[in-house]
Amino acid sequence: MKILAVCLFTALAVRAADVEFNRDVRPILSDNCFTCHGPDAANRKSPVRFDVEESARKAIVAGDPAASPLYKRISSDNRGMRMPPAYAGKSKLSDKDIAVIRRWIEQGAKWQQHWAFIPPVRPAVPAGQNAIDYLVRTRLEQEGLNPAPEADRATLLRRVSLDLTGLPPTPEDAAAFLRDASPAAYERAVDRLLASPRYAERMAMRWLDAARYSDTNGYQSDGPRDMWRWRDWVIDAFHRNMPFDRFTIEQLAGDLLPNATRDQRIATGFQRNHRTSAEGGIVEEEFRVEYVADRAETTATVWLGVTLGCARCHDHKYDPFKQRDFYRMFAFYNNVPERGLVYNFGNEEPMIKAPLPEHERALAEYDEKVKAARTHWDALQPALAKAQHAWEKSLAKSPKLDWNIEGGQVLHAALSKDGERTGRAFDGKDGYDAGKGANFDYRDAYTVSAWIKPEAPDGAILSRAEDYWEGAGYMLLLKNGRVRLHEGLRFTDIYLRLETENAVPMNQWTHVALTFDGYRKAKGVHIYFNGVEQKFKVDFDELTYGFGSADRPFKVGAGGGLRFKGRIDDVRAYNVPLTAREVATLPILESINELARIPPPNRTEAQRDKLTFCYLDRFAPTELREARNHLLAAEKARRLYYDSIPTVMVMQEGPPRQAYILKRGAYDAHGDPVSPGTPEVLPAMKSGWPADRLGLARWLVDRSNPLTARVTVNRFWQMMFGTGIVKTVQDFGSQGDPPSNQELLDWLAVEFMDSGWNVQHIMKTIVMSAAYRQDSKVTPDLLQRDPENRLLARGPRFRLPAEMIRDQALAVSGLLVEKTGGPSVRPYQPPGLWQELSGGGGYRQDHGEGLYRRSLYTYWKRTVAPPSMVNFDAPTRETCTVRETRTNTPLQALDLMNDIAYVEAARRLAERMMTEGGASEESRIGYGWRLALARPPRAREAGVALAALRKFEARFARDPQGAVALLNEGDSLWNRSLDAPTLAAYTGVASLLLNLDEMVTKE
Amino acid sequence: MNPITRRYFFSKTANGIGVAALASLLGGEARAERTGGLDGVPHFAPKAKRVIYLFQSGGPSQMELFDYKPKIKDVAGVDLPESVRMGQRLTSMSASQSKFPMAPSKYAFRQHGQSGAWVSELLPHTAKIADELTFIKSMNTEAINHDPAVTLLQTGFQIAGRPSIGAWLAYGLGAETKELPAFVVMISPGQGGGGQPLYDRLWGSGFLPTRFQGVKFRSVGDPVLYLTDPPGVSRDLRREYLDSLESLNRMKLDETGDPEVSTRIAQYEMAFRMQSSVPELTDLSKEPAGTFELYGEDARKPGTFAANCLLARRLAERGVRFIQLFHRDWDHHGNLPKDLPKRCKETDQAAAALVTDLKQRGMLDDTLVVWGGEFGRTVYCQGRLTADDYGRDHHPRCFTVWLAGGGVQPGVTHGETDDFCYNTVKDPVHVHDLQATILHCLGIDHTRLTYKFQGRYFRLTDVRGEVVRPVLKA
Repeated sequence: MKILAVCLFTALAVRAADVEFNRDVRPILSDNCFTCHGPDAANRKSPVRFDVEESARKAIVAGDPAASPLYKRISSDNRGMRMPPAYAGKSKLSDKDIAVIRRWIEQGAKWQQHWAFIPPVRPAVPAGQNAIDYLVRTRLEQEGLNPAPEADRATLLRRVSLDLTGLPPTPEDAAAFLRDASPAAYERAVDRLLASPRYAERMAMRWLDAARYSDTNGYQSDGPRDMWRWRDWVIDAFHRNMPFDRFTIEQLAGDLLPNATRDQRIATGFQRNHRTSAEGGIVEEEFRVEYVADRAETTATVWLGVTLGCARCHDHKYDPFKQRDFYRMFAFYNNVPERGLVYNFGNEEPMIKAPLPEHERALAEYDEKVKAARTHWDALQPALAKAQHAWEKSLAKSPKLDWNIEGGQVLHAALSKDGERTGRAFDGKDGYDAGKGANFDYRDAYTVSAWIKPEAPDGAILSRAEDYWEGAGYMLLLKNGRVRLHEGLRFTDIYLRLETENAVPMNQWTHVALTFDGYRKAKGVHIYFNGVEQKFKVDFDELTYGFGSADRPFKVGAGGGLRFKGRIDDVRAYNVPLTAREVATLPILESINELARIPPPNRTEAQRDKLTFCYLDRFAPTELREARNHLLAAEKARRLYYDSIPTVMVMQEGPPRQAYILKRGAYDAHGDPVSPGTPEVLPAMKSGWPADRLGLARWLVDRSNPLTARVTVNRFWQMMFGTGIVKTVQDFGSQGDPPSNQELLDWLAVEFMDSGWNVQHIMKTIVMSAAYRQDSKVTPDLLQRDPENRLLARGPRFRLPAEMIRDQALAVSGLLVEKTGGPSVRPYQPPGLWQELSGGGGYRQDHGEGLYRRSLYTYWKRTVAPPSMVNFDAPTRETCTVRETRTNTPLQALDLMNDIAYVEAARRLAERMMTEGGASEESRIGYGWRLALARPPRAREAGVALAALRKFEARFARDPQGAVALLNEGDSLWNRSLDAPTLAAYTGVASLLLNLDEMVTKE
Repeated sequence: MNPITRRYFFSKTANGIGVAALASLLGGEARAERTGGLDGVPHFAPKAKRVIYLFQSGGPSQMELFDYKPKIKDVAGVDLPESVRMGQRLTSMSASQSKFPMAPSKYAFRQHGQSGAWVSELLPHTAKIADELTFIKSMNTEAINHDPAVTLLQTGFQIAGRPSIGAWLAYGLGAETKELPAFVVMISPGQGGGGQPLYDRLWGSGFLPTRFQGVKFRSVGDPVLYLTDPPGVSRDLRREYLDSLESLNRMKLDETGDPEVSTRIAQYEMAFRMQSSVPELTDLSKEPAGTFELYGEDARKPGTFAANCLLARRLAERGVRFIQLFHRDWDHHGNLPKDLPKRCKETDQAAAALVTDLKQRGMLDDTLVVWGGEFGRTVYCQGRLTADDYGRDHHPRCFTVWLAGGGVQPGVTHGETDDFCYNTVKDPVHVHDLQATILHCLGIDHTRLTYKFQGRYFRLTDVRGEVVRPVLKA
């Protein structure tokens, strides 16, 4: 980084002609002076500020450096006088920097507001000129440099194909392009690439980095989540070329749009992609605050390109952002009804069902089946009534029949003799062991019920849990006469705890029942006293882990270290949640015969139900029973299918939560309350806009916003040229790099907005420019003057991003499965990587098509990111990343040579060379080159390849078993019609191709 | 070699970016001198050239191991007084506990060596080398949960995103080897089979370039990912292959003049050398029997803490700068008397052996060994307190680490905690202070090893950190 600054500033600043404040002076002041003479009021060491003109003028005499305290202090050799001060550990400014300041003062010390906070203006471009080229050339002319000629057509097609789709051209694409001599051939190729779904995938790759998209939660537990429906929304949006302003509004506030569609709500998953913690024991608020702060920081990085996060603990030290600004941004995101401790095994609220069309079709079919079954069942009601009536009559003569609901019953402790309701006495010391039934865990639906006659207000009714207060398991307790459910792993933080508002009477029989739907939340619990539903209050609703009760008995009258005093009778457990009407039948003590004798108009609803349920269960004719079972089965199938439909976490506004400035950034150190708002230094929100996320989103993409368009086109530029026009794509503030060509950046930004935020238009405009199409060869002089090619005197040449390297290997070998979207896939990964860090079952690799999908579909586990991606500098997706980085390491070499994915791709490429590339070694090698690099080999290259082929062949001929071992690598079968040693030798050559510098480089 | 490239490299090197390694590779020099690192670093003469950090993940209990507190026996089962807790925030695992009964250590302590350091009966081997060690009993942190606490210890900040300490050193100091990375990580799971998960970012490079991240040496599969050639590919074939690859890449270099191509050529050569040097390094078969007597028979089993300690010594011998071992499963919320002795058994002998071995080889003077976890444990019992079972929750206010070798004064005990082992009463040492001290031993002023990111100059110790001078050799 340092080098670039040196080289470029040599290139830029040495031009003695005119020093420009923003470009040349502010970076020096910011880096060296702002910490103590800048925006951070708390740390300001002096009344003189150099970030504000009025104040700075006190230290500057325009035109007279010698009279300017600023210049005198920085140039002083007196350690006591000199600034920045020695006592702060600072050394003297460089001679060059001092010279820049001197010249600036000499030239009149013209001040400029920080460039990035002034809205861009479209620079004048002579009519008929390509604006990019005009502006690049103007800049080059200032440097006395000339642009390079256009790259050769094969290189150009490969370049633009990789840039727009992330995949290389096929030999057919290349041949067709080379044949097409028309001047419009290139533009036609560009249009074809932009229309491809592969373009949308390529654009999505970098957006996923910015959005910190992942298939797991992050932090140490790092459990799975399902956000792929959001990922597919992004791909679809790029494919349809959704205008970037809408793309912004839907992702930040789609749920707040009038009549928000499901897609618009799915889009808001953007701000739920941040990491979430499921580590037991965390303080919820600490982490909830962290999530909200992440959203604020991500917004600032992605749309504004400013380091607003620096103002989280104190005012920004370099840019005019106050701590208050950060927490006003924070406040926009503070009302999500969410929690700090999340579920570790799937999505956390708020979330919505996000069915695909195929899911909706299938669900409609299930609904139809339920409807048909119900219609059939309804039609049978008269017949049922009639048949039941006859049966009831017959009951008068039959022996006494006791019956209770039996479907799903897994445990029954009668505790009394048949027909008696005396129960078993509990003395407050011992419980009753009812065996190993009713082994429910946290995602199981169930019902438990019992008759109780308590003599003391505290005690345990039933439990399947460790026998102490905070033990794991589930238990139904009595506390102060109120019925309490404890269920979970650890009754201090990972559990469900709720308690009825009413108490049961002492010394009196009450029937108590509890049903749970198995969806982990208190809202799925119902409690009944004598069949009447009870209100309860929820103490903890954190049923997030399994607790495994297998080795504990089901106990009556004991649990949680408590014992029951009184009597308990007729304990039942079901593995289904009984309905309210079913539960209402449980306390009925009369026998079926007795119920039947009650005249129908005098029966309660529950009595009627009990008769009907009994009849249907035991005595109804087959047709009726089948019709009923059919309806129940259809409903169950529908429910199971519905449960399998993917969900996605989304944004939602809950009850407003007051936001505060957090002192030192600490979650529990509330300072002044703040309301949602945008940073003061930027243009204000319009008065008609709501002060919520929707208003924020509109503000971001408003014409008056000086940053969003610039920051966005700058990232596009980075994708194509490797480096942004502003190199620090994440920092347009005073500590960021100034733009290498501000007119160019501003032209692109204004063009972007004027085009209706048309992303494809900007991408096309860039790739159509002569600047983009230049040859990328480097001359010694150019390398010295502009090693990072910021001035664009040549075309871009840099290593491909991680995803493209793998995708390209899959493509040229013919393995690539081109399918858009869907759940993430699990390609090859060295075994054991997950287990060694976190134990558990580890990574289950896919077989078949999951091995060969594009890399943006690879399952992304944040704490153990796919190594072949991280090796090639993919960000780990812990937090928002917009800066592209590229390193060059031996681990990359090992990966490309030895990773099974590349060994298999090499073998498949070799098979293509042998089966599609003609009969001679030369033509096969030539074909390999055209497949891999979209060009024929040069004679010397072909010579090296041929020599290598023969050497490899000789070796494998001597070691045919080794050849077979090599060919057996990978899931796909090798072509047995080919000679193994020969194919192995071609595999070696194909691997050479995949490892070539040119192969992993965009030229 | 292409003249442009050569000039490019040397100019880069002169500007202080760590490609000296490549320049010397390309020049064909074979000496194993420092590769990478910044000009001007170290800032002053270092005492230690390298660090071996034996990280005990999960938070080992200071009360059972080093911080002897006999008076707790007198108050066993009594609720922790609020005058001691003083509003300390607790994890939500125990915050809603109705009682906080104090639990004394079940284990006996004895003083050892000239220094008279107190060490628990659980660590007999460590006890024997007590005079080599410096104990800091007043370590403290703000974090009360694993992720933030380990992240703070590794990166100087509770929130993920900053470089790990090893990455800082790889960036600042480089390595003293051309064939191995500057920063190597090894993990042992603990035979309890569980414990808190670890995550790659703990040895990540944060915002530093990814080449500074720790390279994980694994005990299953390839020791370094993708190290081994595919089946059927012999070393000779790989050599021929690389020669061909280099010829082709050189043509590209001549054509484009892009120095990245020569870097790539060099990286393939480095990869080839790693393919020999790493297996040689991890092959313990030539270690004499005495080695296994010293480290214990466990050292023969790949993936154990003992084997990793032995590998750490071998890595140290070969010039790796920062070697970090992670032993998992020290998080004893419950069943402490059952699980803690197992972790001790897995680690005690080998950790002591490593110090002894380094000393015998004359390497202890310039190797700093650090032992410790991310926080301590509470004096009060979490969950059930019974005669033979108890557990302890996370405790940020005090925990113990020990240091040995590389510039620290042996036989010193620094810092002191109260009778409840709850608060520090003398010489508190924050995590940032420990980090500053480790850097100091390596000749680095922790305030001056910085990297500009998002406009700010970041450093390992964030905005704090004081070197703990009393533990240093004069």
